[in-house]
Amino acid sequence: MLMPKRVKYRRQHRGRMKGQAKGGTTVAFGEYGLQATEATWITSRQIEAARIAMTRYMKRGGKVWIKIFPDKPYTAKPLEVRMGSGKGAPEGWVAVVKPGKIMFEIAGVSEEVAREALRLASHKLPIKTKFVKREEIGGEINEG
Amino acid sequence: MAIKLKAVKREDLRGSATKALRFEGNVPAVVYGKEKDTQTIAVNSVDLLKTVRDEGRNAIITLDVEGGKPVEVMLHDYQMDAVKNDLVHVDFYIVDMKEEMDVSVAVRLDGEPVGAKEGGILQQPLFEVVVRAKPNDIPDEIAVDVAELNIGDVITVADLPKAAAYEILEEADTTVATVLAPTEEELEPASEEDAQAEPELVGAEDEDEE
Repeated sequence: MLMPKRVKYRRQHRGRMKGQAKGGTTVAFGEYGLQATEATWITSRQIEAARIAMTRYMKRGGKVWIKIFPDKPYTAKPLEVRMGSGKGAPEGWVAVVKPGKIMFEIAGVSEEVAREALRLASHKLPIKTKFVKREEIGGEINEG
Repeated sequence: MAIKLKAVKREDLRGSATKALRFEGNVPAVVYGKEKDTQTIAVNSVDLLKTVRDEGRNAIITLDVEGGKPVEVMLHDYQMDAVKNDLVHVDFYIVDMKEEMDVSVAVRLDGEPVGAKEGGILQQPLFEVVVRAKPNDIPDEIAVDVAELNIGDVITVADLPKAAAYEILEEADTTVATVLAPTEEELEPASEEDAQAEPELVGAEDEDEE
């Protein structure tokens, strides 16, 4: 499961997720990608489940890049505990994802295989996503 | 022959005016060049996209700015909206047809490698190379045949087809394409114990020493 090796502080504020992703919005390494269209926290377990869904479908072919990293700790209080008495214990790790972010990339497989693999991966995620291709200006671009 | 593209001058540079321009189907743009004054203009979004799709990313475009002289330009830079996939802004560069310039040219891989048929994975780490050439000699793309590649074989920048008209500026030993041996990706999910593990705190050791 993905998580940082060392951190400066054990707990973080939750923060806000307004606006769009400002980096990692283009397919950089592979040929196809899965782009987030909503903002959310993606947990390390969801990333792992999506990775397994993709690699299982692609069998031995192709290469997968995970372009998000869960570097934000989230905390939870134990069950049946009254409010107060400080922040809860760290429960897991999440990646903050904003609209436009390319979360996974795939190369070395046909478009149909990539499309299906990324569709299966998208079912492991809590947001709506979009299949995107590496493309230059003037491709299948919205002429709207 | 250069392709023509119509443009209008953009005097009102406020955000609201630029937003209205985009709403009407135009793209705000800027034209600049060596020892030339910068001009703010707007072009039709669909016309620009069609021009680039038909003629290529590095095509020489004759930009006919309303009330001004036509200028030979190249698409120098552009910004896209990552979610809507719309053009947000475009930069045009006024080219001097006699002077060499550096541009990025796409690398296209032709054929299916022998190694890929045996289960290898064709990988392309480099999708574009920087080329120095006169504007008229810039190639649309550089094609390289990868059909002969076996597992472990590599095509570097030095193996790309050369031409007298242009010079490739990348390092000669940079990998363009390679066929990787098939690797078994780990399918087992990481154990729950891993997930519960806590990372060490930066500076925790120092505190212990004190």
